[in-house]
Amino acid sequence: MLDGIMLGLSTVLDWNNLLYVIVGCFVGTFIGMLPGLGPITAIALMIPITYSIGADSGMILMAGVYYGAIFGGSTSSILINAPGVAGTVASSFDGYPLAKQGKAGKALAIAAYSSFIGGTIGAILLMVAAPLLAKVSLSFQSPDYVVLMFLGLTAIAAFSNKGQFLKAMMMTVFGLMLATVGIDPSSGTERFTFGQADLLDGISFLLVAMATFALAEALINVARPEAEPDKKIDDPDTPKIGSTKLTKEEVKDMAPVVGRSSLLGFIVGVLPGAGATIASFMVYATERNLAPKALKDKFGKGSMRGLAAPESANNAACTGSFVPLLTLGIPGSGTTAIMLGALIAYGIQPGPMLMQENPSVFWAVIVSMYFGNIVLLILNLPLIPYFAKVLAMPKSVLTVMILFFSLIGVYLVSFNTFDLFMMVGFALVALVLRLLAFPMAPLLLGFILGDMIERNFRRAMMISDGSLSFLWDRPLTLSIFVISILVLLFPLKDYIVQRRKEKAATQAEQHA
Amino acid sequence: MLNRELIGPSLFLVLFTLYALVAWQIPLMPFEEYESVTSATLPKVYAVFGIVVCVLSIGANLLKQAPAEKAELLSKGNLLRTFALLVLMVAYSAMLEPFGFLIATSAFLITGFFIMGERRKAVLLFASVPVAVVFWFLMTQVLGIYLVPGNLWS
Repeated sequence: MLDGIMLGLSTVLDWNNLLYVIVGCFVGTFIGMLPGLGPITAIALMIPITYSIGADSGMILMAGVYYGAIFGGSTSSILINAPGVAGTVASSFDGYPLAKQGKAGKALAIAAYSSFIGGTIGAILLMVAAPLLAKVSLSFQSPDYVVLMFLGLTAIAAFSNKGQFLKAMMMTVFGLMLATVGIDPSSGTERFTFGQADLLDGISFLLVAMATFALAEALINVARPEAEPDKKIDDPDTPKIGSTKLTKEEVKDMAPVVGRSSLLGFIVGVLPGAGATIASFMVYATERNLAPKALKDKFGKGSMRGLAAPESANNAACTGSFVPLLTLGIPGSGTTAIMLGALIAYGIQPGPMLMQENPSVFWAVIVSMYFGNIVLLILNLPLIPYFAKVLAMPKSVLTVMILFFSLIGVYLVSFNTFDLFMMVGFALVALVLRLLAFPMAPLLLGFILGDMIERNFRRAMMISDGSLSFLWDRPLTLSIFVISILVLLFPLKDYIVQRRKEKAATQAEQHA
Repeated sequence: MLNRELIGPSLFLVLFTLYALVAWQIPLMPFEEYESVTSATLPKVYAVFGIVVCVLSIGANLLKQAPAEKAELLSKGNLLRTFALLVLMVAYSAMLEPFGFLIATSAFLITGFFIMGERRKAVLLFASVPVAVVFWFLMTQVLGIYLVPGNLWS
C-alpha cells in the first residue's frame, strides 16, 4: 500500500497534475455555487477537456472538480440558502441561520474544516478499503459481475427519493435500452440504427451525460425558475462574511460530531445508490437525536453541530462512492457513473485489475482527493468572498454559456453535427422527464452499465451452457443475487407500512 | 383525465412497446441460431421488463385513491423561452459547419442572451464576440485543435 501511496504522490505532485487539482477545485467551486448546477454537470462540462490531457491528469482534474462542486454547493447553501447540490441541502438547515446571525464566515469555516476532516478520514479509509476489496474482487467471475451490476442498478432505484422507485426503474431500463443502440460487438448485428450510419458506433456517453445533465439542468432553470433565494449576494442586506475564526470550545464541541459523521458518511457512500445526499440527511438526524436537550433545540436555528455533521458526511460519502468504482468497476452514483464513462473512453476498464494494470491512475485518484481537500482549505476558503461574486452573475449570460460549452464540448470530441442534433433531442426528452419528476442518474447508470452487463451475461451463459444456473451455482453469486432481490423489495416495505397506517387511520375514523 | 403521475409511465409504455417491436425484428446472424444468448436476447428482456414496470406504475397510480397531484403550472413565457433556446441550439448545430465557428458562435451567444431577456447592448456584444474569439484562439492557436472555418467560404 505504501508503494501505491508513493506512486500516487509522485503522480499528483507533478507540476501539471498539481495545477489540474487546483484548477479542478476552482472550477468545481465556481459551478457548484450556481444554484441548480451540481457535481455531475461540473464533471460533464470538464470531460471534453480531459480527453486531451491523458487518463491520470483527467481523473485528477475530475476529482478536484467533484470536491470543488460539493464545497461550492455548501457556500451557496450557507450564504443565500440556495443549495447548488442535493448533498448540501442539509447544510443549509443550520448554515443559513448562522449566516443570518452575522456568522457567515464562521459557518463557511466550519463547512471547510468539516469537509476537510470528512474528506481526510474518507481518503484514509479509501486507501485501506480499496486495495483490500480489489484483492477480494480478483476472484470475481462473469456471473458475479452480472449480479453485482444488477445490484448497482436496483440499489440506485431503491434508494431514490420516496415514491420514485418505479420511475427510477423506468429510467434504468431506458438507459439500458439506449446502450443497445449500434453494432452488437459480439455478433456484429446492427441494432436500433434505423439505417443511420452515425448510429453504428452507438450513442456517445458524453452526449447522453451532457444532454441529460448540463443541457437539461440549464433548460429546466429557464422553464421552471427556482424560487428566488432569500437574499442576493449583491444585496446590501446580505450578511457580511465576517471572521472565519473558531474558538477552542467550538472546535472541542464539534470534534466528535465530525468524527462520527465522517465514518458514517463513508459507509453510506460505499453503498451503491446511497451517496452524499442520504449520508448528510442521515447524520443530521443522528446528531440531532444524540445532542443534549439544550443543543437539540438549536438544530435548525444555527447549530454548529448541525452544520458540521452534514458537511463532514457528504465529503466522506463522496470519497466512499469511489470504492465500488475503483475496485469493482461499478459506479454507485451519477457522478461516479460519469467518471466510469470517462475512464472507459480513455481505454481503461475500472475494476479489480485497475490497481494492477493502471496503478498510477488508481493511486493518483485516491491521493488527488486528499490534495483536493487541502486546496479547498488553503486556497478556496480565503477566496470565498470573491467566489461569492459568481452568484451575482446575470442568469441570462450564464445559461447561454452553459448551453454553448455543452454543445461545443461534444462537437470537439466527435466533430459531427449529427451528435449535436441528437443531443438537443435528448435534452428535450430529459427536460420533459425532469418536469415529470423522473430522476436522471439511473438513466446514466443504466446506459453506462448496459454494455458491461451484456458482455458479462453472455460470458456467464456460455460458461453455464445456456442455463441460468450461474445465478445459484456459486455461493458468492447467489449471495449478491439474494441481496439484489432484497434491495428490489425494499421499497415494498415502505408501501406496506404506509397502507397499514392508512388502514388504521380509516378504522380509527370509523370508530370515532 | 391523465394526471401528472400517469403521463410519464404512459409515455414510457409507448416507447418500450415500440422498442419491443423493433427488438423482435433484430436480424440474427446464421451462427447465432443455436446460441443461448443472441444480439436480440437482452433487448427483448429489457423491453418486457420495461413494459411490466410501466404497467405496474400505471396500475399503482390508478389504485392510489389519493387526489391527483396538481399539475405543475409553468408560465407560458418561460416555456416559450425554453423552446426558443432549443430551436436556437438546433440552428447553431446547423450553422456551425457552413458558417464556421466564429460567426455561428457569436450569433448563437447574442441570440441566446437576447432570448434570455438581456437587452443591454454592451452585454450582448462583449459577452459574445470576444468569448467566441478567445475560445477560437485557445483551441486553434494554443491547443492546436481544428475548428471549422466555414464550408461556405473555404
